[in-house]
Amino acid sequence: MKKFFRIYWPFAANQIKSNFVYKGRFYLFILRKFLGMFIYYYLWMAIYASAPTGELGGFTRAEMILYVFMSYTVSDMVMVGISSEIGYDVTDGNVAMSLTKPISYRARLVFKSLGVMLYRAVVPTLFIWIGLEIYKVSRLGMPLTSPVTMAATLVSILLSFFIYIFFDYCFGMLAFVTTYVFGMNIIKNAALNFLTGKLIPISFFPEVLQRIFAVLPFTAMTYVPVLIYLGKYSGAQVLEQLGKQALWVVVLFLLGSYLWKKIEKRIVILGG
Amino acid sequence: MKKLSRYLNLYRIFVIQYMKTTMQSKVDFFIGLGGFLISQAAGLAFLYLVFEQIPSMREWTLEQMLFIYGFAQLPRGIDHLLTDNIWMVGWQMVIKGTFDKYILRPMNIFFQIVCEKVQFDALGEILVGLVLVGRSVAKGTVQVTPVKLLFFVVSVAAGTVIYTSVKLILASLAFWLKDSSAIMTTAYEVADFAKYPVEIYAKPVQAVLMTILPFAFVAYIPSTFFLIDANLWTTIGAECAVAAIIWTVAYKLFQKGISVYESAGN
Repeated sequence: MKKFFRIYWPFAANQIKSNFVYKGRFYLFILRKFLGMFIYYYLWMAIYASAPTGELGGFTRAEMILYVFMSYTVSDMVMVGISSEIGYDVTDGNVAMSLTKPISYRARLVFKSLGVMLYRAVVPTLFIWIGLEIYKVSRLGMPLTSPVTMAATLVSILLSFFIYIFFDYCFGMLAFVTTYVFGMNIIKNAALNFLTGKLIPISFFPEVLQRIFAVLPFTAMTYVPVLIYLGKYSGAQVLEQLGKQALWVVVLFLLGSYLWKKIEKRIVILGG
Repeated sequence: MKKLSRYLNLYRIFVIQYMKTTMQSKVDFFIGLGGFLISQAAGLAFLYLVFEQIPSMREWTLEQMLFIYGFAQLPRGIDHLLTDNIWMVGWQMVIKGTFDKYILRPMNIFFQIVCEKVQFDALGEILVGLVLVGRSVAKGTVQVTPVKLLFFVVSVAAGTVIYTSVKLILASLAFWLKDSSAIMTTAYEVADFAKYPVEIYAKPVQAVLMTILPFAFVAYIPSTFFLIDANLWTTIGAECAVAAIIWTVAYKLFQKGISVYESAGN
């Protein structure tokens, strides 16, 4: 009996340990997301405390609080990258296997990410949003978000998801040119944090840059849904912004198909 | 003394060896450097855009904020440059059993881990740090005297030790948990808090930054010595004390970890 225990206990212990690692990883994952949000929350609080007027860049203090949490959760949901997976597939030569299978490489990647996105929509986004609504009513003295606004925001987020993923697919095609996708991704993420308005609302930028951003797809990734949520657009403007987003989905989809066709022709797989 | 020169010589050999492998892909180096530079630029642009709107933040001017920001990059960058390989202990070495090789060689194990890699990407952080600090000197935000210069070097060194120690403690947890990379990345996010004046945060956050993850001592607290002539002992003195304590703890824990290490087996 004692021997039996001694032999089998490590299996159990290992299970406990690995569960701890993975469960711990899950909580840490959520904690990490909160950390980034709270740095900016505190920064903005200090900034508004020193502001000469109650409004900065067209945002009141209350709006800015909502902006920080919304832009973090939205970009977390929307930016489920596929370029690094493409990178691995290319360096490992796995992409050859994908070419032989009768399913679309891109569609497979998109659906994998969609799963991640839906998961993140619940954990932790849904909980943060509920908390935010409570905070909004009890502390900021604002009304609850109307169902229409919420619906428009969700549609906009879904469009943002497709814009980002088709963009990232095009970006992933760089893996066929350079092997250092890790570094490329750091550059991309740093640039996107900025260009999408996650770090600071686009309205803080000089007029000229704002006009340039308006014709780029990046503001359609997180800025638009967050501004819809904050009620910064009128009814007609909301439709216009959604239309713009839809347009970007189509454009980036077509660009991705075009790039893939180009690359498929010159692809060389080593070994196999 | 003989031992020291042996280790220095070994370090040179290891680094040359590592450089040979990185030289194979110079493009990757520039991409990595560019990535770090751009993320720094984004952080700076944030400060500029915000300070367009407000004169100062809680008594801190833009110039002072830039000094703190730049100062924070230096220990972080140097730690990143020299000891980046510690990440691998927490991430892969213990769980895959590749840690074995260090135990077999007749050299200090910590030394072996550190000298195996020089993370040249970190030059981006160091560059940004130097430019910002240099700018503060040129603009007269901080005065240069031989004494201050000396304490600046001491402070950067102590800050680097704090960074390395935190990393070593968290990586050593892998000896018990097998994989501590998630904890390490979380701690690194916490370090981002230290780029700004710590007093803007709520009390519990400040408490964490002063105790469990003492990043407040890395740049913000010593920078008050240079910026507003705060007391030397409560700033840089405290930083050095924290560095000494945390390094002792880290190294003890690391050694304890090695003693419980069991290889993955083949």
